[in-house]
Amino acid sequence: MNVLIGLITGMISGATPILLAALGGALTFYAGVFNIAMEGMMLMAAFFAVLGSFLFHSWLAGLAFAILGSLALAAIFIFFSVKLKTDEFVTGIALNLFALGTTTYLLRQIFKVKGVFTSKAIVPVPAIHIPYVENIPFLGPIVSGRNLIVYLAALATIACTYLVFRTRYGLRLRAAGYNAASLDSSGVLASRIRTQSLLACAVLCGLGGAFLSLGYVTLFAENMTAGRGWISLAAVILVDGHPVGIAIISLLFGFFDGLGLFLQNYRVAPQFTAMVPYIATLAALYVYARRGRGRRGMKL
Amino acid sequence: MSRKLWSGVVGVAVALAVGGLIMLLQGYEPVSAYGALFQLSLAGAGPLATTLKNSVPLILTGLSASVAFASGPINLGQPGQLVFGALAATLVGIYLPLPAGLAVPLLLAAGIAGGALWSGVAAFLRQAFGMSEFIVTLMLNMIADFFTAWAIAYPFMDRKAFSPMTLPIAGGGWMPDLGPLSASVLVMLAAAAIVWFVFRRWRAGYEWRMTGQNSVFARLGGCDIDRNFWAIMLVTGALAGLAGALVVMGGPHRFIKGLGANYAWDGIMIAIMANNGILGTIVYGVFIAAIQTGALGMELITNVPSEIAQVLEAVLVLVIVATREYANVFLDRMAARRQAKGRSA
Repeated sequence: MNVLIGLITGMISGATPILLAALGGALTFYAGVFNIAMEGMMLMAAFFAVLGSFLFHSWLAGLAFAILGSLALAAIFIFFSVKLKTDEFVTGIALNLFALGTTTYLLRQIFKVKGVFTSKAIVPVPAIHIPYVENIPFLGPIVSGRNLIVYLAALATIACTYLVFRTRYGLRLRAAGYNAASLDSSGVLASRIRTQSLLACAVLCGLGGAFLSLGYVTLFAENMTAGRGWISLAAVILVDGHPVGIAIISLLFGFFDGLGLFLQNYRVAPQFTAMVPYIATLAALYVYARRGRGRRGMKL
Repeated sequence: MSRKLWSGVVGVAVALAVGGLIMLLQGYEPVSAYGALFQLSLAGAGPLATTLKNSVPLILTGLSASVAFASGPINLGQPGQLVFGALAATLVGIYLPLPAGLAVPLLLAAGIAGGALWSGVAAFLRQAFGMSEFIVTLMLNMIADFFTAWAIAYPFMDRKAFSPMTLPIAGGGWMPDLGPLSASVLVMLAAAAIVWFVFRRWRAGYEWRMTGQNSVFARLGGCDIDRNFWAIMLVTGALAGLAGALVVMGGPHRFIKGLGANYAWDGIMIAIMANNGILGTIVYGVFIAAIQTGALGMELITNVPSEIAQVLEAVLVLVIVATREYANVFLDRMAARRQAKGRSA
C-alpha cells in the first residue's frame, strides 16, 4: 500500500513541472506562436526562485522572483519575435541557451559556486495539509500533503480549459492562431494576443521552475530542467494543446519519472532509469504518429 | 554577400556593446576585459593555434546543423551524435592499438560511423513511423547522454580513475601536432571543403538545397525526397560524430565525464548566426572559439567569470539574427525609395 502511495505521489511530483510548462505552451500554441522557450523559462525561474528565497528567507519572494525571471525571458522573446519578427524557432533556441548561460554565470557570480548551490537559508515552498481530508485512508495521503504548487497546477489546468474554450478571450486566443488576419480585421490585434499568451506562458513556466528548485528539491543545479521543457513541448504537440489531454500526458510522464526512481531499488543502473521519461516521450510520439498521420500538427 | 557582411558586423558590434554593458553593471572594466579576451585568443601564433583547435568541434557541429537546416530536416541531435562518435572512436582506440598511420583514419571513421548511427536512428523513426525528427533528436540527445555516462561508468570505466572515464586510447590514435597547430584543424578544413563541394557543386547537394527551399518543387522536379532525407541525416550525423572523434583524439585521449560539453549546441547557434552558410559557419565558428578561448584567460587577468562567454554568445546570436532580418526589411525599403526617386526624376 505504501509503495503504491509512494508511486502515485512520485507521479504527481514528476508531472507538476511538465504540466505547468505544457499549459503555458498550450496557450502560445493556440495563439499561433511556435514557442520552444519553455525550457529556458523554467530554468530562469528555477534559478531566480532559489535567489529570491535565499535573499528574503521567504518562499513567496522565491515564487515572485521565479515568475519575474521567467517573464524577463518572455519579454526578450516578445521583443525579438513579435516586435522585430525574428524567426520564432531561432529565437527560442537562442533564448534557451541564453537562459543556460545566464543562470550558470549568475550562479558563479552571486553564489560563487559551480554546478550546484544549496543552503539552509533557502526556504522551500510548503506542502499543504488539508484538514479532515488527510485522514481519509489511501486517498488522504495522496490528495493532502502535496506541495502548494501542485494544487496551483491543478487549478491552472481547470482555469486554462475554461479560458480557452469558454470565454471570449479564449476565442480570440484560438483565432490568433487559426487566422491572424481575420482577427486583426475584426479589431483585435493578433500580435497583442500573442504577447499576452507568451506572458501567461512565462507565469506558468515560472511556477514550474519554482517547483523544480523549491519543491521537488531545495537547491539549484546547472541545467536542472534537464529537457523537461522539451518534454512539455512534446506533450503540447501530442494532444494538440488540449489542457485536459496535457494533464493526462503529464501524469503519464510523471509516472515514468517516478518509475525510473523506483527501478533504482532493483539495481538497474541510474543512467538507464534516468532515460525512462525520454524513452516514454519517444513512445508517445510513436503512438501519436500512428494515430494521426497527416493530421495537422505544429508547423514542423 | 555585402548585406550578410554588414549585418554580421553590426550584430557583432551590438552584441559586444551589450556584453560590455553587462560587465559595466557588474563593476568590471569592459575595455580591458575585451582586450585581455582577444589578446589571449587571437594575438600571436600560440593563442591563435589554440583558438583554431577549439574551433574544430564547433565548426563541425555547426556545419552539421547548417547542412541539415538548409536542406529541411530539423536535426537538433548534434549533441547526441557527437558523444556517440566520441564513444565509438574511443572504444576503437582502446581495443585496436595500431600505428598512427592506420589508427588515425580508422578512429576518424569510427567517429563518423558512431555519429551516423545515432542520426540514423532518428532518420529511421521519422521514415518508418512519421515521428517528427525535431523532438526525436532532442530526446535522443538526452538518451545518448545517459547512455555514454553509463558506458564510461560501468563497462568501460578506468578502475584507477577518480571520476568516470574510460582508459586512454592507444598512442597511435592521438592527433599529432604540426608545430603549434593541431592536425585536427586540417581534418576539419578537409571535411569543410568536402561538405562545400558536395553541397554547392554536386547534384546531390543541389537536390538537398532545393528540398530545403521548396520540397514540393523538388519532388515534382524528380528528387527522391526520402532518399535525400536519409542522406542528409546520415551526413550531418557523421559530421557531428567526426567532431566527437576529434575531441577525444586531440584532447584528453579518452572519454571523460562531460566530454560533449556545449560544443554541439554552440555549433547549432553558429549555424543559425551564419544563416546556414558554409563559409559563414567557419568564420563564426572561429569567432566563437576565440571568445571561449579568451574568456578563460580573461578570468585570470580581470576576474570576469569565464561563463560570460555563454551569455555573450546568446546575445550574439539574437542580435545577429535580428539585425539580419531587420536589415533586409530596412535595405529593401531604401532600395524601393531609391527606385521611386529614379522614376519620378
